[in-house]
Amino acid sequence: MVIGALTWSVVAPLLAGVLCLLPGRGARWFALLGALVPLAVGLAALGDFARNPGADFRMLESVPWSTALGANWTVGVDGIGAAMLALSGLVTAIATISAWKEARHPRAYHALVMLLLAAMNGVFVTLDLLVFYICWEVMLVPMLALIGVWGGEQRRYAALKFFVYTLAGSVLMLAMLIALWNRTPAGGRVVAVQQVEVVAHSHDSGATLHGLKVEARADGTRTVTVPRGFDIRHLQLQWRWWQSEHILGVSLAAFGFVAVLLACLVKVPAVPLHTWLPHAHVQAPTAISVLLAGILLKLGVYGLYRVGWPLFPVQAQQWGLAIGVIGLIGILWAAWVALGQRDLKRLVAYSSVSHMGWCLLGLAGLTAAGATGGMVQAVTHGLGSSLLFLLVGVVYDRAHHRDVDGFGGLAKPMPRYGWILLIACLAGAGLPGLAGFVGEAMALFGTFSAGGPFPWLGALAALSVVLSAAYMLWMLKRVAYGPLRHPEHAAYPDLDARELAATVPLVALILLVGIWPSPLADALRPSCEALVTHVRSALP
Amino acid sequence: MIPAWLAPTILLAPLGFAVLALLAPRSRPGLAHAAGAAVMAACTALAVWLAVAVVPHGAAVQGAHVPWLDLGGFVLGLGTYVDPMGAIMTVIVCLLATFVLVYNAWYMHDDEQAARFPWQFCLFVFAMLTVVLADNLFMSFVGWELVGLGSYLLIGFWSHKPAVADDADYQRLKGAGARGILEDRLSPAHAQLKAFVMNRIGDAGFLVGIGALIAAGTLAGGVREPLTWGNIALIAQGGGLPGTFLGLTGADLLTLAALGIFCGAVGKSAQFPLHTWLPDAMQGPTTASSIIHAATMVAAGVFLVARCYPFFTPDALAVVGWIGGITCLLAASIACVQWDLKAVLAYSTVSQLGLMFTALGAGAAAGGQAAGISHLFTHALFKNLLFLCAGAVIHACAGSQDLHRMGGLARRMPITAIASGLAVLAIIGAPFFSGFFSKDAVLAAALMHAEEAGGAAWGPFLLACAGSLLTAAYMVRWWIRIFAGHERDHGICHHAHDPSWYASAVLIALMPFTIMFVWSGWLGHALGAPHGEAHAHAHHSAMMVASTLLLGGAGFAIVAFLLKPGLSEVLARTLRPLHVACAELWGIDRLWDLLFVRGVGAGLGRLAALLDLGSRDRLASLEGAAPFRLRDVLSLDGVIDGIGRACGGIGRAGALLHDGRIGLYLGVAAIVGAAVLLLGVLW
Repeated sequence: MVIGALTWSVVAPLLAGVLCLLPGRGARWFALLGALVPLAVGLAALGDFARNPGADFRMLESVPWSTALGANWTVGVDGIGAAMLALSGLVTAIATISAWKEARHPRAYHALVMLLLAAMNGVFVTLDLLVFYICWEVMLVPMLALIGVWGGEQRRYAALKFFVYTLAGSVLMLAMLIALWNRTPAGGRVVAVQQVEVVAHSHDSGATLHGLKVEARADGTRTVTVPRGFDIRHLQLQWRWWQSEHILGVSLAAFGFVAVLLACLVKVPAVPLHTWLPHAHVQAPTAISVLLAGILLKLGVYGLYRVGWPLFPVQAQQWGLAIGVIGLIGILWAAWVALGQRDLKRLVAYSSVSHMGWCLLGLAGLTAAGATGGMVQAVTHGLGSSLLFLLVGVVYDRAHHRDVDGFGGLAKPMPRYGWILLIACLAGAGLPGLAGFVGEAMALFGTFSAGGPFPWLGALAALSVVLSAAYMLWMLKRVAYGPLRHPEHAAYPDLDARELAATVPLVALILLVGIWPSPLADALRPSCEALVTHVRSALP
Repeated sequence: MIPAWLAPTILLAPLGFAVLALLAPRSRPGLAHAAGAAVMAACTALAVWLAVAVVPHGAAVQGAHVPWLDLGGFVLGLGTYVDPMGAIMTVIVCLLATFVLVYNAWYMHDDEQAARFPWQFCLFVFAMLTVVLADNLFMSFVGWELVGLGSYLLIGFWSHKPAVADDADYQRLKGAGARGILEDRLSPAHAQLKAFVMNRIGDAGFLVGIGALIAAGTLAGGVREPLTWGNIALIAQGGGLPGTFLGLTGADLLTLAALGIFCGAVGKSAQFPLHTWLPDAMQGPTTASSIIHAATMVAAGVFLVARCYPFFTPDALAVVGWIGGITCLLAASIACVQWDLKAVLAYSTVSQLGLMFTALGAGAAAGGQAAGISHLFTHALFKNLLFLCAGAVIHACAGSQDLHRMGGLARRMPITAIASGLAVLAIIGAPFFSGFFSKDAVLAAALMHAEEAGGAAWGPFLLACAGSLLTAAYMVRWWIRIFAGHERDHGICHHAHDPSWYASAVLIALMPFTIMFVWSGWLGHALGAPHGEAHAHAHHSAMMVASTLLLGGAGFAIVAFLLKPGLSEVLARTLRPLHVACAELWGIDRLWDLLFVRGVGAGLGRLAALLDLGSRDRLASLEGAAPFRLRDVLSLDGVIDGIGRACGGIGRAGALLHDGRIGLYLGVAAIVGAAVLLLGVLW
């Protein structure tokens, strides 16, 4: 049997992880290779979606796993999955470069990173909810170890906090999973399907839909028989049933929606479920912070796009405003908290929380622009916050502290650092021409055109252009500008080759996406548009 | 026939140069300046071609247009749009950029960072041209933000400098008796931050304005590109818009959009109450200030409001007029008592921008649009000249900017004296000078509007008149203090000389533009200024008013600063409260610093941080088994930890475990247990 590209994007990191454990000094090279495979696969898929936009899943593979459960190793990506896959490969490669000189148990370290990457990629490529959930939980283990062993002084507290929060968030998801399976008849369920759905997702002119045979009825309607199982696409077809089934007095859909929402909001993280993040970031080593901010947070957004909204569209619409408000509060509150931070890493961590709020706000308004913007924001934030964490790591390596007020004037001895930090901060402040602007503008304009009370949320969220400029550029001023505050900083070396290798690709991508965002947006838009249409049509 | 490539070429050439100069080695700053000036000169030539082709016909020319981003439902695009106003502005921007680059080669000839100037400057020029040539509001916004970047970079050109309180050179050379400046904060690094953030306050409003137009456009039924000028005009003509945005409909929605855009203009054009960043921006090189913070960038707000005139409803225009009038007088009053020669010019820029907004507030029928833009153009040239002269004076006086110590420099630097003299005559609106032509138009428009609307509409006109009176006084004082009379401080003045030949040539080249006849024959026609009997009458009245104000202000300055030097001190003593208020910048800087920097910014930020994670004390003690304190519950994180500990406590009580840190684990156990229970129910 031939293993397909998407499966390789999970298997390659796993293999690399095993190779990392071999004695010798090859671990980092294996890790880099293990990250480059999903990057290549993701970029290829993303390129395909940019050239031929579509809302369908491509590069599909399906291997039966448990016929009793109806679980399969089904993988496939749409534009969203492709972008996430490319991002996770890229960020992991960069994190590996930045941890090139990891001295403490390097083999175990790189092996754990590879396990983490495999689990994350599993989430991004799988179309099976059981596999999704398993990967979702598996990634906690390497992360717990990476923070708990390689972290700073309070690493055990931070690691445990991260673990408890995310586990508590996702436990309900398991309950939902079981409930969904439990309420599907053993022989499957006959579901009427819309012509549009068939057209959008069939590669064989309507004979099958998501691998199921389409049957034309005498009265002109079409149906498919959905087997009992975990295929997300099949579960989505049954959204009306989740709506009418009840458990514990609430509809299964409401229960499931809350379960997914909770699991994802902890990961995003949304205020007030965010306080694990500053601890985790501050204690984690630089490369792990990069992984955390660059990919792990996106899983929350991805979960909402892939599971929460498709499976439970009625709730997504009913709760839209509340989720928009949560996003808005996150944007503003975290920005203010960032203004009050003295620890560089915590400042950047809160900027992450603020920026991720745009993903929620964009999605909540249910416009094509907003939903696409939320996803673009997830990608661009992955680039921007990774860069910022790397740059914080650069000064931490030299000064061994992260106190914002303990620097000053670093642009003089470290000019390259000064310029790259400027670009990172301007991207964080959402300057047009840099990646950070694209997602925010799309999410904002989407919110403005969403109607109802959403323009109010947009108008308030627009204040964040002031706050983000303030905390980003104020940090820049205190770190890089003004006179050299400490004479010993004059001897700090500028970015070396390894640090440049980690940061320059991100700078280039931030510029590229900022100047020419349409390939990325075009790849993401059809899926987001289809999602919005699906949700909006559920409750006219 | 205009080639399609013309406007895009003018737009992109400075960007191309900026990228090349950024990547090129920095060993030859002179060469970089020369190359930059050559590129800008070529752009000027192309811009003149464009203007000659566009202006006589009066019609706008839409250039190439490409979609930039498809948002599903509507599209954001990039393209060029040239109308007479834009064509003239393009010429002015390119011309001034050429001059400033030539001049700067002399100005920075011994600055080790000089090679950085050309690329940053050309990046700014590109951004400025983006604002001018944009064919839609979104592209304007992009340019708008990028000029902010250019301004940020150039204000921070010497960002390694300390705050002026710690800067020995500054303390030695600053104006004696200067007050109102927060010396422990003011530095290039602070000024660039302040400028950017204060601009962003306006930009938040700008975004809401864009949002209103997008909402109007999409609700109007699938307008593909709601933000192009043409579609905006169509939306505005509709008057009654479908749907609501922020609870507003119809004309109110247009007013909201207009005020949103104007909000951005208030930030960028340094209008009250967001004007305080501009004087601080003088921390940047004078050459950069001459074009960014005097001639073009700060006028972008005026330009944009004129561009968006179709949807500026009478209500919105009233706000524009009042803000302009208030700023005009407020800034002029401050300029009267400044001792820093650049500070005088900075506040005069703020004041003149207020004058332009006063004109715009009068409405198109009264000739406000044409008048405001005319004054923008004439002001750009003479204010640029004033700043370049100021740079020459500062250079000649070994860095001193103190009007107390100058005087009698006319003999040592005649070219600079003549050039700045002409520019002063222009700014005060002396007959036969360019300012006379445009200021008369401004006052005429405001007067005509006041006569027609009556009541509150007189406010902006009267404020503008008072501002003009003071302008005549402080600008004449400025020139007298520097160039006339005797040398007050020989130590500073004795090396003074005119700048090098090519820098002097720039000053000479700018002189003709201060003359009225360069502009008066064609500009009003090109901008479509309305004319008729009522307008002629208003012009006549305005001319009388302006001449009276000029004579009063200039006469006072000549008497008080040249003929009877003691008089000004006597006046300052007699009007002490007023004098102090002006010198203290009306307390606005201090108030904003207290309210926004210390209050809403740092203060609330620290409070939010405390509420979010708790005190440093708490953060420091997280790892150990420190006992839980009640005050930790005051923070969000503390509350959640408290819940975890409570769960742990329950678990400990049941299982008789001892280790305090296990608490969190038990929290997990509790949650998992609950989930198992739930599953039991489900099964």
